[in-house]
Amino acid sequence: MGALAHYLEVEKIPTTHISLIREHTKIIQPPRALWVPFMLGRPLGVPDDSAFQRRVLLAALKLFDFDKGPVLVDFPEDTPDNAPNTDGSSLTDLACPVDFSTPAREKTEAEKVLTAFAHEMAQFRSWYDLGLERRGYSTVVSFSPDAAMGLLSDFVLGNPVQLPENIASTAMALRFAAQDLKAVYFEAVMARPDFSMTDPAEFTDWFWHKTAAGSVLRLVKEMCLSSNDQQLRMTGGRLLVPLDQA
Amino acid sequence: MARIEEMPESMRSHLATLPCPTFNTKPWAKGPALAQRRVAIISTAGLHRRNDRPFEGMTGDYRVIPGDCTAKDLVMTHISTNFDRTGFQQDWNIAFPLDRLRELAAEGLVGSVADYHYSFMGATPPEEMESAARRLATLLKGDQVDAALLVPV
Repeated sequence: MGALAHYLEVEKIPTTHISLIREHTKIIQPPRALWVPFMLGRPLGVPDDSAFQRRVLLAALKLFDFDKGPVLVDFPEDTPDNAPNTDGSSLTDLACPVDFSTPAREKTEAEKVLTAFAHEMAQFRSWYDLGLERRGYSTVVSFSPDAAMGLLSDFVLGNPVQLPENIASTAMALRFAAQDLKAVYFEAVMARPDFSMTDPAEFTDWFWHKTAAGSVLRLVKEMCLSSNDQQLRMTGGRLLVPLDQA
Repeated sequence: MARIEEMPESMRSHLATLPCPTFNTKPWAKGPALAQRRVAIISTAGLHRRNDRPFEGMTGDYRVIPGDCTAKDLVMTHISTNFDRTGFQQDWNIAFPLDRLRELAAEGLVGSVADYHYSFMGATPPEEMESAARRLATLLKGDQVDAALLVPV
């Protein structure tokens, strides 16, 4: 981002820049930068808090008042404390645990995970649909809940994968389906009347460690890593499961 | 938190080893007071209109976001899975503060909001973005922009 500011400033476009990684900004030295101590993905700090966002935005824009640079200023506020839920509600209760006990007909591990995934998705679907109806839109990009589940399930079972018209490869489809699946789960959680997530890490930890969907994506990752296809190996290695959740 | 020292070791070492370019020059473009400036947002969050092309690779290209875009129209296809997306899913202003910018313009704290905004995908090596950024400067000048707000993700 700092390099982009440099390139634009060379072309006489004045820039101001929000920085999330101070160490990088100190090296690149863009003309004007406001470092904010917020988590990656949240450069304006707090969703649905217009007053907080406004303070960040104004602090970044005020850097245009400086006569010379480079300028690197630290934003003086952090986001409100990430207090855990104290009302007894927990995301953990929502997930469908994967049942590894031996059923009447022996299932493979993958089939067990996919069965739990289908049950879990059925549970979340009505909240997702309700949220979609209320907001009038979803951040899902390419795959509906059913399409994402279908694609991931087919891949795990070794079935032929049907690609949407505008997606060129299985690797890309898996990446987009994984992101859309996480969006479906979060939007479903957000639609619940008891939604009060104060720490975004709570959702991330829950999704990757408590849900069948997270288990499915880990299976997909492992299968990608053992594939002969270079694109699939790269996707499995870096683009499905976050580094801090691997 | 985006304090490197508070991140898990896997993320910390990943970010610590990312190459950062250095430059011999320190350009500094001047402009009028903030209340007279025309502001465009330039994001690196891999944002685009729902019907535009998703970001598929690290090719340094950008997408155009019209100033009348709404949260319903804007989606994110950034390649990285290592940052929080739930904030954007709740409120697009967390990564693309167009509503906040419009409010500041309505109050006269900034001059005006550009007709067009832009998004790159930030995992791209900076040198891959240079030629696109320089072409983008021409478009910004055509829109009378004299304040580019660069927002990472």
